[in-house]
Amino acid sequence: MGKRPVVVISSSDDEDGGCSVSAGCNSSRSKSERSVGRKKCRRLKKASVLNRQLCKQGHKEEEANFDALLKDFYEDFHGHSMAPGERGRRQKLGSPWADSRELWVDKYRPRSLEELAVHKKKIEEVKMWLEEWVRTSKEQFCGHVLVITGQAGVGKSATINVIASQLGAEVCEWKTPTPTLWQEYIHNANSGTHYISKLEEFETFVERVRKYSLLRSISKDGSKQSVILLIDDLPLTNGRVAHGRLTKCLHFLAQSTQIPTVILVTEYGKADCGDNTNYSEELVLSLERAGASKVAFNPLTFNSVKKTLSRICREEQCNVPSEWIDHIAKASGGDIRHAITCLQYFCLRPDLMLPLNLSALSITQSRGKSEDLSEDLNEMSKLIVNKDENLDYEFPLPFGRDETLTLFHALGKFLHNKRETVDCSALGRDLFTLKDRYKRFPLKMDSPERVVLQMHGQARPIADFLHENVLDFLSDEAIEDAWIVASYLSDADRLLSTSLHGQAWSPIVAGKHDPENVTQLVSASVAVRGVLFGNSHPSPSRWHAIRSPKLWQVEKLRRHNKKLMLLEKFEAYSIFSSYGMSVMATEYKPTLKRLGFRSLEDLQVCRKMTECSKMEVGVYDLLDQDELEGGASVESEEDEIEDW
Amino acid sequence: MAPLLQSSQPWVEKYRPKQVKDVAHQEEVVRVLTNTLETSNCPHMLFYGPPGTGKTTTALAIAHQLFGPELYKSRVLELNASDDRGINVVRTKIKNFAAVAVGSSNRSVGYPCPPFKIIILDEADSMTEDAQNALRRTMETYSKVTRFFFICNYISRIIEPLASRCAKFRFKPLSEDIMSSRILHICREEGLNLDPEALSTLSSISQGDLRRAITYLQGAARLVGSSIFAKDLINVSGVIPAAVVQALFNACKSGQFELANKEVNNIIAEGYPVSQMLSQLFDVIVVAEEISDEQKARICKRLAEADKCLVDGADEYLQLLDVASHTMQALCNRI
Amino acid sequence: MLWVDKYRPKTLDKMIVHQEIAMNLKKLVSEHDCPHLLFYGPPGAGKKTLIMALLKQMFGPGAEKVKIENKIWKVDVSFCSHVSSFYWLIFQIGLAGTRTLDLELTTLSSTHHVELNPSDAGFQDRYIVQEIIKEMAKSRPIDTKGKKGFKVLVLNEVDKLSREAQHSLRRTMEKYSASCRLILCCNSSSKVTEAVRSRCLNVRVNAPTEEQIIRVLEFIGKKEGLSLPTGLGSRIAAQSNRSLRRAILSFETCRVQQYPFTENQAVPPMDWEQYVSEIAIDIVQEQSPKRLFLVRGKLYELLVNCIPPEIVLKKLLSELLKKLDSELKHEVCHWAAYYEHRMRMGQKAIFHIEAFVAKFMSIYKQFLIETFG
Repeated sequence: MGKRPVVVISSSDDEDGGCSVSAGCNSSRSKSERSVGRKKCRRLKKASVLNRQLCKQGHKEEEANFDALLKDFYEDFHGHSMAPGERGRRQKLGSPWADSRELWVDKYRPRSLEELAVHKKKIEEVKMWLEEWVRTSKEQFCGHVLVITGQAGVGKSATINVIASQLGAEVCEWKTPTPTLWQEYIHNANSGTHYISKLEEFETFVERVRKYSLLRSISKDGSKQSVILLIDDLPLTNGRVAHGRLTKCLHFLAQSTQIPTVILVTEYGKADCGDNTNYSEELVLSLERAGASKVAFNPLTFNSVKKTLSRICREEQCNVPSEWIDHIAKASGGDIRHAITCLQYFCLRPDLMLPLNLSALSITQSRGKSEDLSEDLNEMSKLIVNKDENLDYEFPLPFGRDETLTLFHALGKFLHNKRETVDCSALGRDLFTLKDRYKRFPLKMDSPERVVLQMHGQARPIADFLHENVLDFLSDEAIEDAWIVASYLSDADRLLSTSLHGQAWSPIVAGKHDPENVTQLVSASVAVRGVLFGNSHPSPSRWHAIRSPKLWQVEKLRRHNKKLMLLEKFEAYSIFSSYGMSVMATEYKPTLKRLGFRSLEDLQVCRKMTECSKMEVGVYDLLDQDELEGGASVESEEDEIEDW
Repeated sequence: MAPLLQSSQPWVEKYRPKQVKDVAHQEEVVRVLTNTLETSNCPHMLFYGPPGTGKTTTALAIAHQLFGPELYKSRVLELNASDDRGINVVRTKIKNFAAVAVGSSNRSVGYPCPPFKIIILDEADSMTEDAQNALRRTMETYSKVTRFFFICNYISRIIEPLASRCAKFRFKPLSEDIMSSRILHICREEGLNLDPEALSTLSSISQGDLRRAITYLQGAARLVGSSIFAKDLINVSGVIPAAVVQALFNACKSGQFELANKEVNNIIAEGYPVSQMLSQLFDVIVVAEEISDEQKARICKRLAEADKCLVDGADEYLQLLDVASHTMQALCNRI
Repeated sequence: MLWVDKYRPKTLDKMIVHQEIAMNLKKLVSEHDCPHLLFYGPPGAGKKTLIMALLKQMFGPGAEKVKIENKIWKVDVSFCSHVSSFYWLIFQIGLAGTRTLDLELTTLSSTHHVELNPSDAGFQDRYIVQEIIKEMAKSRPIDTKGKKGFKVLVLNEVDKLSREAQHSLRRTMEKYSASCRLILCCNSSSKVTEAVRSRCLNVRVNAPTEEQIIRVLEFIGKKEGLSLPTGLGSRIAAQSNRSLRRAILSFETCRVQQYPFTENQAVPPMDWEQYVSEIAIDIVQEQSPKRLFLVRGKLYELLVNCIPPEIVLKKLLSELLKKLDSELKHEVCHWAAYYEHRMRMGQKAIFHIEAFVAKFMSIYKQFLIETFG
């Protein structure tokens, strides 16, 4: 802190305005913040850091070091251990420079408010909350919980730790051990270790906290020091039931805890669209209902990441070209932890990294000019291969988070359809000329396939989103364009459903390049490129909100109505007639409506019907969640098959 | 209340020839096979040809003649594509069946009873290629004790290694005479009245498929009784009366869209199956003299597409309307 | 009770239309020789009525005492069998395993018959068919003479069954032919596999002609004590698209809207049809992405109310055709057929309907530009 004031100034010098990459960041920052926000290494719980590093760097660390890490890892493995805020500091004081093996993430962990790269306002919010409750006497305090949300690596726990140490409070953490656990268990299964699910452990922990407020007694000075309970990394829950348990458990905690409690909820990329996102949102909601206050952390800005990185470089005396730092910072997508890890990794073997990355860069640059389809296809296959390699070796691409783009960001790219204004044929690279109506200017973005991969999108939601929104982006006259787009989307839908029918044989042809996967890629590509190609007269750029597909609601409603109708079919009408659904929908219902339930008998029947339908609505709402629609249940079926 | 159920045997079974020599119209096949029967030496066999020409009949007849009624059950295994049991059932079925050694002791008198078993695989062309490959190994493993009879419509769908292991027999479509004589034979046995018009209708709608002809005949007899007319046969068979097809064709020739639309609506309302309509329309168009080859080609292309769409489950009305509109455009040279 | 149900002929003798078919069916029953039956014909032609009457003819009034059951069927699925119903694939898969599926399905049943819509079970339809038939075969009714009778299984909408389901149907038909008879009912027989068709006696039920419909309407009018002007009757018949059910329903609607009838009383269309024709007007008025978006909203409305998308598309086509020159009609109906096919192959109907609408707009706009400059 005090040791390195110079860095602050110099790093804020090379700040430029280009923070376009990280969407949703606050770009307007107060001056004071500028001078402060120089660093955002985060203090992490040992276990999670180590684990991360295990994957990423395990290869190149020497054996001994690896073992040491492993030992550490196991120490923290069981349950909730106390991690006093001072611990990091103490390590720090023992000569940091000597041990080159120390992870930079730990080494440059922020230790003062000034070092935090988090937005000033957010820090202030958290600090106020903590100050208020830490100082309140225990008697008055009941059930106050702060929830901090944000994606991984935005400094959630670092903020808490720094503030806590400033307030002189002790931080007690609950830690969830790592996902390798299950394999661990399998490995140790013979030696008689029993597997206790993390959720169970967590539940007992919470129970203890509520009942005995045990932490107070353990605190070192025995008396006055205030304690903050920090719950990071909630146990992973799979499925509705487990999730329900967790929610309930946290709800109780929030209502009855006797010490200030901070819960960190890590948000995963929305693009994944998985259930997890919904779950974590639900969780936060339920906590808020229980009286918790919430602070949401945004991804860090490009500039603050860059500043931190350059500072580290300076201190480590690494000569890293500034464009590399830019690149790393850009690729990190606001995850400082990842950025630092990348930097350290990069500095280890700069010679090895350089050629690889240069080529990657050059590809990115050249893409602006080339719209050649075959090249893009090559590109795509290359990407696929890359992706697979990732899986094989668990070896991350040099830098870059996997989800650099949110779904909405990518959709924005596709829909706005920004193109160069220079005709590429002017460059003389066209060997043949296209008819005018097939000609398009080059895209101002990566190849669409790459973008799709970056946002981890699945073809189906992408197509749905595009379908919902694309019409807003067409100019008013261009109905021909609208048809082209609609037609391509129809193609995409068609392709997607073959992949669905294809499940008949896909279990047999398992593998990396199984047809399923390829169809997904191809149909996403068709949808996206169709939209890009079709929209040849984009409407002048104005702001459009991107809506989530109404289609989803429509489908849900439709399923619901169908169920109701099935019930009616058998209850409302004279018993001798059981018609198909279409007859019901197209002929009976309208007629009945028109007849206005003429006779008393009908009326009664209908009353009964609506009553029972009201009841059913409740039931179906629940059912709908569990009961997946046709397509989804096929998938689940398939999963089971693969399990076998 | 519940009426007695007369378990009426399908006539197809009832009048199935029991001896190889009775199989109609397949002289060469019969000659070779009779020879086989005499020497009771039998290779793997592959019977192919259009439906209803006596392939299954022949296979069954050989089996019967080789083993006689007593040994038949233990020596012959019939499998067709409608047998889908669990996973390993069929595989084990073949294995189990083939693996049990052939006892030479209990011979039926009067039958050759050669020392092997027969597995009859009906509708073999619906096997996937992989399945056929797998079968190839099975054939080799048990070649000492088993003979396979494959029965299929399209020999091109049987993989070469499998086909090359078999003696191939091609079955010709039946001529009208043979068919008529068979039909009349059945009519005599069942006491039916069939006028000549009905007889010729029957042989034309069944298109050389004797089994189909017999099935139609039985259906019509069930529905209307002992005197059967051409219209009953047409009704039962699902074939569309020529007049209806002609009306549609004429509407197309007229070049008036509304007229064609009306015809199409009519066809749908009458409940005629559109796939049938397409094939009958095809028959009409192919022979029509006033249409040029190019026009025919255009129309047929669209017919083929429509047929595929129907198989995929597309709407009948829309497809037929599109076919009609295309035909009209082709006929009026508007494309 | 609606007139459609009230005046549905209960016996084969009372049929007003399809008397010939009724007589044939009667003969079948009287000869105690009843094969599996396949009724096919357009909606509203009277298939269901015939089947009901046939059941009554077979079993007497007992067939009318039906109860509704919503039952959950436990089905053991050996899950490779969903890979293909053909046993051939078995050669290439080494795995085997089973698991139990719970399938919910509502059935209508009397002691003598069971009726169900297997296509309600979605793509698990096949298991339903097998399971129910097995169940039925177990509980065969015993007649007065202590002989085992047979049961009838009525399957509606067979054409909507998946190929696999139809295939397994064929096998079940053979296996349980001693204990039960199947009566299949569908709209288009070309969607039923040849294998099934050839094992059934096919009965084509054509839509009644307009004259026949008028006759039925007059019959009902007389029973209800109404005087039906001939003009109105024939207009109802003409608008019904040869569907008797449709005609009777609109007849009843007319009765509620205005009585005594007048000669030129309006015959109200179904509300969704009204809606579709409004959509058609929207489309013809303006061709722009904005309008397309509006149309999409309206289409959603229809879909939410469970109007089958292909019916929407067909109705839309016929409404649009009315507004076109014959030159354009060819092209438009081609695209309708094209997108309807894709709709079947795809999953989300709206994508394809919308593509059709967009194409129409594009064609129409082009046409307007060419004609009027």
